[in-house]
Amino acid sequence: MMDTYILAIESSCDETSMAIVRNGCEVIALSITTQMDTHAKYGGVIPEIASRMHTEAITFVLEDCLEKAGMKLEDVDAIAVTYAPGLTGSLMVGVEGAKILALMYHKPLIAVNHLIGHIYANNLENKMEYPLLALIVSGGHTELLVMEDDYKFKKLGETLDDAIGEAYDKVARVVGLPYPGGPNIEKLAREGSHTYSLPKPVMDNTYNFSYSGLKSAVINLVHNEIQRGNEIKKEDLAKTFQDVAIDELVRKVDKAFKNTGIKRLVIAGGVSANQYLKSEMSKLCQKYDAELLIPRMLYCTDNAAMIGAAAYPKYLRKEFSSYNLEVSSSADIV
Amino acid sequence: MYTLFIDTHYISLHLALFKDGKVIEEIIKNEAKHSSYFIPLLKELLENNSIQFEQLSGIIVVNGPGSFTGVRIGVVVAKMIGYCKNIPLKAISFLQALSLKYDKDVTIGIKDRNGAFVGSFDKDHNLKGDYFYLSNQELEDYPEKIIIDDSINLDMVYKYLESKEVIPPHLLKPIYVKKIEVNK
Repeated sequence: MMDTYILAIESSCDETSMAIVRNGCEVIALSITTQMDTHAKYGGVIPEIASRMHTEAITFVLEDCLEKAGMKLEDVDAIAVTYAPGLTGSLMVGVEGAKILALMYHKPLIAVNHLIGHIYANNLENKMEYPLLALIVSGGHTELLVMEDDYKFKKLGETLDDAIGEAYDKVARVVGLPYPGGPNIEKLAREGSHTYSLPKPVMDNTYNFSYSGLKSAVINLVHNEIQRGNEIKKEDLAKTFQDVAIDELVRKVDKAFKNTGIKRLVIAGGVSANQYLKSEMSKLCQKYDAELLIPRMLYCTDNAAMIGAAAYPKYLRKEFSSYNLEVSSSADIV
Repeated sequence: MYTLFIDTHYISLHLALFKDGKVIEEIIKNEAKHSSYFIPLLKELLENNSIQFEQLSGIIVVNGPGSFTGVRIGVVVAKMIGYCKNIPLKAISFLQALSLKYDKDVTIGIKDRNGAFVGSFDKDHNLKGDYFYLSNQELEDYPEKIIIDDSINLDMVYKYLESKEVIPPHLLKPIYVKKIEVNK
């Protein structure tokens, strides 16, 4: 079979990224420019600033990506782009950029869901085999899915309120850690012990998650301790919070292993970079003699290579988008 | 010698194609969803005239002021064509384009729902000071005369830009006038 080269664009949040991916699994070139330092000043991503920075970066990133690949736009077979979910203005920069590239070079346009991209990031390491359980954990999403084949998803459960990454960021703010909160909580938790008491979120029979109650419990706890004149042991609070937050995931995935008999788990999304999550899930997978797939750090966070990987099955099935393609801030996988 | 004109700064999408400095086709669509219509209209304009991107010898883009997202769409597309196909890019603000119709010092405004973007120009169409935004109330109370206008003359724009410098695609940016919340 002929090799397929897909140029992929990702601009859903605060990273402008482009990649050229061969056959959905081999990264020929990857360029990422992050705006993290800019947004850190504001304590979070400011959508309008993100859109502006994508606009300034887009041709630089394209140039860098093509140079790294030693390829020309004429050489690629398709243009893929994240169209959802994410910040509308930011997505739009990538989508309009992708459309004009597709039009100029007469290439098919492939619209990719960012979350599906995170799952397919695993194909950049090892080809995924089905069926598998997919746990998506990020700043905007917490979902547990069954994947029976390429693009065949069945939702088991999802968060009823906040996403896990959101809870991490919020707790980081409450204890005064800088943005991005998640990695900083994780770092701090390594030095702490589970000394505080926080409630376990959803204790029912579903696969659903909840993080707003846990978040509120942390806020209340800090508030009460301050009122009593007690000092907060930040590292202990971080450890206690992380234990409860990750246990919420472990319990649901445990149940899914038990009930489905599936022997494979893929973890996707920004929070999959969390080492504690990785070690807990690894223990769980040993218990069920299941295979655990997590992409390396570079592919866990937002990047265009995963979009190129996720675009490949759509390319093979000729699922192309028209130039009317619109962005969407929230798009469910199923 | 074909030149593409792109203006997405506000509600109407405005595209035009010049041949040797004369407009041969113009498309104006009053449609708020630029993201959905812009590329299809651009495709239509080029196909109607059997033009390939490679045949363009220039791009003129209105880089603001106006709706943040609207302006960005035109600017991103202009940058990409300019960069990929190595086509000289020139940018003009919509207010400056309007000033070309007046051979004297003028203060011009373009309305949006809540007020107007305003700029003052000398008789040679150079901007005096900075662009600014006035709310509808501030507009009423403004001591100087502000000409509110919304239609530009494409021939004048083409002619005015002939002697102006080309902008490298990497450096083309929208003109942002309104302050965003976090910077207020």
